[in-house]
Amino acid sequence: MFDALLHALPAVLSFKSALAMVVGMAAGLVVGALPGLTVTMGIAVLIPLTFGLDPLVALGVMAGMYNGGSYGGAITAILLRIPGTPASVATVLDGYPMAQRGEAGHALQVAVVSGTIGSVISAIALILLAPPLAQVSLLFGPAEYFWMAMFGLATVSMLLGDDALKGLVSVIIGLLIGTVGQDQLNGSERFVFDILDLVDGLNVVVLLTGLYALPPVLLMAERAARRGMDKALLRFDRARSVLREWRRYIRIWVRSSAIGIVIGILPGAGGSMTSLIAYNDAKRIAKDPDSYGKGNPEGVAASECGNGADNAASMIPALTLAVPGSGVAAVILAGLLVHGMRPGPQLFRDNPDVVYGFMLQMLVTSLMLAVMGGLAATRLFGQVLRLPPLMLTPFIVLLTVVGVYAVNASVFDLWAMLAIGLLGYVMDRLDYPTAPAVLGLLLGPMAESQVRLALTISRGDATILVASWVSWIMIAATLFVFLSPVWHAWRARAAR
Amino acid sequence: MTGLNRRRLIAAAGAALAGSALPRGARAQAAYPTRPISLIVAFAAGGGTDVAARSIARYMEKHLGGGASIGVVNRPGAGGEIGWTAVAQAAPDGYTIGFINAPAIAAMTVEKQTRFTMDSFDPIGNLVYDAGILAVHKDSAFQNVADMVAFARANPGALTVGTTGGSGNSEHLALLQLQRLADIRINHAPFGGTAPMRTALLGRHIPVGAFNLSEGVEQVREGQLRVLGVMAEQRQSIAPDLPTFREQGIDLVAGSSRGIVGPRGIPAPILARLREAVRASMHDPEYVQAAQRASIPLRYMDGTEYQAFITRMTAEMRAIWQATPWR
Repeated sequence: MFDALLHALPAVLSFKSALAMVVGMAAGLVVGALPGLTVTMGIAVLIPLTFGLDPLVALGVMAGMYNGGSYGGAITAILLRIPGTPASVATVLDGYPMAQRGEAGHALQVAVVSGTIGSVISAIALILLAPPLAQVSLLFGPAEYFWMAMFGLATVSMLLGDDALKGLVSVIIGLLIGTVGQDQLNGSERFVFDILDLVDGLNVVVLLTGLYALPPVLLMAERAARRGMDKALLRFDRARSVLREWRRYIRIWVRSSAIGIVIGILPGAGGSMTSLIAYNDAKRIAKDPDSYGKGNPEGVAASECGNGADNAASMIPALTLAVPGSGVAAVILAGLLVHGMRPGPQLFRDNPDVVYGFMLQMLVTSLMLAVMGGLAATRLFGQVLRLPPLMLTPFIVLLTVVGVYAVNASVFDLWAMLAIGLLGYVMDRLDYPTAPAVLGLLLGPMAESQVRLALTISRGDATILVASWVSWIMIAATLFVFLSPVWHAWRARAAR
Repeated sequence: MTGLNRRRLIAAAGAALAGSALPRGARAQAAYPTRPISLIVAFAAGGGTDVAARSIARYMEKHLGGGASIGVVNRPGAGGEIGWTAVAQAAPDGYTIGFINAPAIAAMTVEKQTRFTMDSFDPIGNLVYDAGILAVHKDSAFQNVADMVAFARANPGALTVGTTGGSGNSEHLALLQLQRLADIRINHAPFGGTAPMRTALLGRHIPVGAFNLSEGVEQVREGQLRVLGVMAEQRQSIAPDLPTFREQGIDLVAGSSRGIVGPRGIPAPILARLREAVRASMHDPEYVQAAQRASIPLRYMDGTEYQAFITRMTAEMRAIWQATPWR
């Protein structure tokens, strides 16, 4: 394997491949930062254009786009409270309060460094462990995915806000919205009211931008302050160096990377769930969990590190089993196919230069993220905050409208976003966390279809749900999450 | 997105200029296309149909000539219904065409009240036909179709078969046909996507999976999966060693196709240009080679043949629906 790696290295570092990675990353940063435009879409548009190119050049663009896109989402999440992708929801929680306090520069720095660390560790895992790790994804059948979704739902509802009850209410709102659409198992349409746009349910991007981007716009307009943020407050140069504070973050980076890799290799989970679970994990082990959600940079670090670690890991089952771990991995697979590379064990045998070259490109682009994301994009985009709110608000609205329209080219979605924006505003005002609603929409349909699939396979025998040790681990983890507040309360009383 | 639009604009401007520079007689010939053509894809960017559309679009542009420009427009939603409705209702001027997937689209017109019928389209050409397969894990006890049928007869309803779509997907319809032909009962588990179903099959969470040949051919070559039977009239060129159902005594022919249509009523000369562009692209060595490398089972059908194929599919779907409504 090391032979193959060394063999692939010169091609990866060649001028054409390097240029491809830079271009891909720049495009990824932009695509990730715009809500509605996704990396999946970007790569899809790219594939036909790479027909005539050398495979490694094509894959270099894709690797750059993948790693760039996952950080791009953090920029708008921190600055404007628009999560560019579902994965950056957890970044909003602490990143946006930090930016409002005038620590935007520091928040972006934490994000880029943590994202880089996560994706580097993930890329190394991809290079070293791909074949054995791929087997893990085969352990997950419908029953195991069901418990995985339950674990995710339990985590977000119990640990996100200060008030578990409000978290549960928010999850339920997401779950209810998740029931809209065509039933996968018997094809009947639920809460569709003969509106064609609702047959596939509500797209998560619509919910995301509605819940996150619109409420602060309304708040800003309410205050209608006349001046923008003082340049001095942005403090790019004087921002504390994250690397110098590595002792504070090291534990979070290690744990979040591990979480990102494990969830990344599971097809169908991925992305959005990773960053929230990493965030909750960091909050759980924190000395001052109450400061999370109020602008604690550790929250940004956990979310972005988990998000970055998801990237290369989702390529593990894609390359070794031809089973993509995420939407982006799926389009990259399509890209490989177009170039005559057939994913699966034979890929490592027949095209070692390309597959190891691509893995190295994932690693190189992770490192590039620190430079391109940290130095260029952060400074450039950070200036946005200096606009006075009166100019900023219409700009944000424009951005969200374009982004949401881009998803399905549907005007219906725009109205849905507006309605959800009002809902989000009310939730904000009443201090209900909105992230559980997003996860409810993502995980609710997953939990439902998987439990029904499991029961279909077993022909109604419920013991299938507890038939494997993976299920038991998931159940134990879920119970642990549900009981942890009780445990904390008990310990606090015992201490008194 | 903006890059695409600009490219379209430039191409359109180029086409307009080229048109005005030509002598009179030639201009009538080259009057189409004078503006960009929209190619509607009823699925999201990044899916199989989308990649196929973006690939063929480049070659159709080349073979239409005159700086023609084709922009892929994704109109996903409702299992394809939104995009297909958009194609059916577009002005039949040759500037809006779209991809359809049969038999899925035909099944849709049978199972629900759609705003189009299969007569709402002018077929331009079919690109892909991917035969269905039934596959098992390499360690499965089923060696062939007969083993599986014997098990299903001995244990009615106990044979679980996973499919890659939702209820009423093309594999589901094939299973309904199989039930009728082999007189068995199958427990159908729709996974909603190819990747989760294939993972479940590889992880032995389900005993048998139904999907398309091109989606499983690699795992079969690697020996991870075994194909019980291919649902085709004869053996397929991308995997000539795999036996068909017909060889094993069950005349099951099913699969899914991808082709290009326009709204009904496109003027004959323009329709002919479009058909010719598809035909030329399908015989373009560069395109054929790229498709072969990606294991895409190309199957070109010209307009007439494609029309006959659609008509036959629709009749078949109607017959299945009458025997066993699937939802």
